[in-house]
Amino acid sequence: MNRSAISLTVNGAATTLEAEPRTHLADLLRGGMLLTGTHLGCEHGVCGACTVELDGAPARSCITHAGACDGASVRTIEGFAEDAVMAALRAAFTAEHALQCGYCTPGMLITARDVVLRLPEADEARVREEMAGNLCRCTGYRGIVRAVLRVLEQRRSAAAVA
Amino acid sequence: MTSPQGVRAQGVGASLLRKEDARFLHGRGRYVADITLPGMLEVAFLRSPVAHARLLGMTKPEGAAERVFTFADLDGVGHIRAVSGLPGFRISEQPVLATDKLRHVGEAIAACVAPSRACAEDLVAACVLDYEELPVVSDMLSAGLPGTALVHEHWSQNAFLETTRQDDLSELDAIAAAKVTRRLRTSRQCMAPLEGRGVLVEWDPRLEQLIVTTSTQMPHVSRTGLAEILGLDEGQVRVIAPDVGGGFGYKGILLPEEVVCAHLAIRLGRPVRWIEDRLEHLTANANCREHHYIVTAWADAGGRLLGAEVDATVDAGAYSSYPFGACLEAAQIGSIFPGPYTLPKFSFRTVSACTNKPPILPYRGVARTGVCYALETTMDALARKLGISATAIRLANLVPPEAMPYRNLVGKVFDSGDYPEALRRAMASVDLAGIRARQAAGECVGFGLAVFCEQGAHGTSVYAGWGVPIVPGFEQATARFSPDGVLEIRTGVHSHGQGMETTLAQVAHEVLGVETARVRVVHGDTALTPYSTGTWGSRGAVMAGGAVAEACRLLGERALAIGAALLQAEPGAVELSGGAIRRRDGGAAVTLAEIARTWYRQPQNLARDVDKGGLEVIAGYRPDPDTGTHSYACHAVTLRVDRDTGEVAIEDYLVVEDGGTLLNPMIVDGQVLGGVAQGIGTALYEEMPFDAAGQPLAGSLADYLLPGATEVPDIRLDHMETPSPWTRFGQKGIGESGAIGPPAAIVNAINDALHRFGAEVLDLPATPARVLAALEAAR
Ligand code: FES
Ligand code: FES
Repeated sequence: MNRSAISLTVNGAATTLEAEPRTHLADLLRGGMLLTGTHLGCEHGVCGACTVELDGAPARSCITHAGACDGASVRTIEGFAEDAVMAALRAAFTAEHALQCGYCTPGMLITARDVVLRLPEADEARVREEMAGNLCRCTGYRGIVRAVLRVLEQRRSAAAVA
Repeated sequence: MTSPQGVRAQGVGASLLRKEDARFLHGRGRYVADITLPGMLEVAFLRSPVAHARLLGMTKPEGAAERVFTFADLDGVGHIRAVSGLPGFRISEQPVLATDKLRHVGEAIAACVAPSRACAEDLVAACVLDYEELPVVSDMLSAGLPGTALVHEHWSQNAFLETTRQDDLSELDAIAAAKVTRRLRTSRQCMAPLEGRGVLVEWDPRLEQLIVTTSTQMPHVSRTGLAEILGLDEGQVRVIAPDVGGGFGYKGILLPEEVVCAHLAIRLGRPVRWIEDRLEHLTANANCREHHYIVTAWADAGGRLLGAEVDATVDAGAYSSYPFGACLEAAQIGSIFPGPYTLPKFSFRTVSACTNKPPILPYRGVARTGVCYALETTMDALARKLGISATAIRLANLVPPEAMPYRNLVGKVFDSGDYPEALRRAMASVDLAGIRARQAAGECVGFGLAVFCEQGAHGTSVYAGWGVPIVPGFEQATARFSPDGVLEIRTGVHSHGQGMETTLAQVAHEVLGVETARVRVVHGDTALTPYSTGTWGSRGAVMAGGAVAEACRLLGERALAIGAALLQAEPGAVELSGGAIRRRDGGAAVTLAEIARTWYRQPQNLARDVDKGGLEVIAGYRPDPDTGTHSYACHAVTLRVDRDTGEVAIEDYLVVEDGGTLLNPMIVDGQVLGGVAQGIGTALYEEMPFDAAGQPLAGSLADYLLPGATEVPDIRLDHMETPSPWTRFGQKGIGESGAIGPPAAIVNAINDALHRFGAEVLDLPATPARVLAALEAAR
């Protein structure tokens, strides 16, 4: 099958890869780029395990054609080393026991970071609604929801002090 | 053993944050699909499109004879046989690739091999299949009727096993104040761990060894099964379970796909990998929970049970899976139906029906979820008939604490606990009067209870009777110091969410006082760990916890002898505390790290008569008796039913549970919460319908509904901690508990809301359609 070149920025680095037209973004990231932190749970856009940041917004990499990402900027779970919000979320996920097997965790974190930044006033009901597109089979969600609320609260208190 | 201040918070009972979290939070977990090897080939399976057919042939795509493999191509590979020793068990042989017959949709027929999965799927699409359809056995209740097509033609009937018990119930009609009969059904489910199955196999020509990296809960059992079926010595098979994205029973099996990939890796001399996708999971592996019950129960005016009669059928699917077999679930119904109650008389008949569906596997809770549903809804039906409360009927029958340890009429032995207190504590924390007032005001709200116990960590004495291929014995663990004083724990169980890298380090800390940061827990590799039947049956905390404690105790004795010699003291004059051997008179001390350094690097300082076993110990552990621990719980649910849409909204979900001594309360909470979420799925959402042709009808997670953050409420948890008298720290198995109670408690609450309208839900899941149908039927 023909392969075509795709140029995109991944975790801050410009790169060009070859892929078949049918390749989805998750396979491109996991295969060609060895970024295996992006997980596949369903490959039909329901579970959210494959969530990455695409041009600044969360996207399901399993139903995003790799070819459609030419010129795009992608950030995966491996690309948040310097990010303060992600660091706070990681600490909160551990403190609230928001992960067990860890398979949903990268996608959860990327969605959660978007919620925290986009909805600083979100309450529990809103957080649950916003996180509803990411499935976790292990935790029952309580820890995840509490972790997101914890970071929201921390940021609100920090803002109030400032 | 006491530890210095501040270090204490790492031992048994501490909610220590998990050591394993960091790698997952950074996307550095290593699951089988993350691993690639040079020259690796990917496999896609051609699977049966029909439920029952004679396989006439398969034409390989042109030029692909060396890339497409059917059973005829697999020289020397046997069939999977999981035989039960129970009398009357009918044996099925499961070919790893279909031979002459197709017995369920999704059964693997051919393995197609290519450099990428996509190209392997292209090969699958180009295969031409020839088959002749046969009448389909899709309904477990009619499977045994005369004239029905046979799934296994040499059998006399479509049943793996039938079990019975007969008490004399003939007088009960005359003396009972109430008698109820209910016909109840649970639906077939998919366990749906977020990561599917997957296996990567390579053949190491130097070691003449297969290296099988697979998403499994039981690496050692997989190794035994693989070696047997491939005709290899066990030493020629090494099974590695890397990070595993959830198990729940789905990964407690020897897979046909593992066998095929192993064979191909040897044959092709290349690493071979298969990764299950969600479509395969849903359509080829919907394999649990499908039960049907007819329950009759009798009670006196005070609600005391006089007897029960159960006719239960479980759809066991087409084959007996290795190692647990096809009849574990149905046969278990007979032994666990009495639940937490003092039932005086009991008759049952159970059938493990054989149908054209995927082979059954024990899902978290195994038969208990269905049994609890059948028993607890029946209890409520009796209470309503008697005009007493759901609480009163349960209090009248629960095993009282003073009767512990209690042996019930089928011989189950409950170790410890105060079952009535769990119920009382739940009721004290629920505003039942408020709910009744809302009902009186016309609101369609309801309250429901489920009380149950969970046998966990049961061992040899229980499983020997089942006669299954694997009987758990002494659980073993290795404890050893490395020269730098780091303590290494090696265990044959596998942790895939249970946090055992943390809890087993806590156990080691409890015994030896080594900081948990300096304890490495190694698991998931048959080459590195002692034999274990693996992680299932809520056995990790009790069995691996006990084994690690014992290995550490023995290691501590070795260290104590060396330390005493270094301190020039008699062994009786020193003690182990806080990670060091200290003189009891408060004098000098030598740390375990110094002792390790001495053993490995300064042996000139060792006494002449030192134990030559050194600082590495393997120990075995089995509780005595090993009939299992019984954790127990009361689930209490308040919910609203929308009578126009049939939708159910949970307002409050309370769990009062007793897992004995909790090794790590935070992690136990996590297990319970996750279990409850799965139970809510069983109760309200999850269902794999099959049509009469045996076709599974939910092909994506948009059709097979898993509960999300909006469906699972903020569950309230309350712990009691009654130690088990039989385990090392008093801990009890509790990993499955959460998933047992929800269907019963939720449906009892729904029926509490609906009964004023004359309606009752009987089948799971209680979807809007079923709730509306129940209301309609009552109109
Ligand atoms: S893998 Fe992309 S949404 Fe499930
Ligand atoms: S932690 Fe296992 S799926 Fe979320």
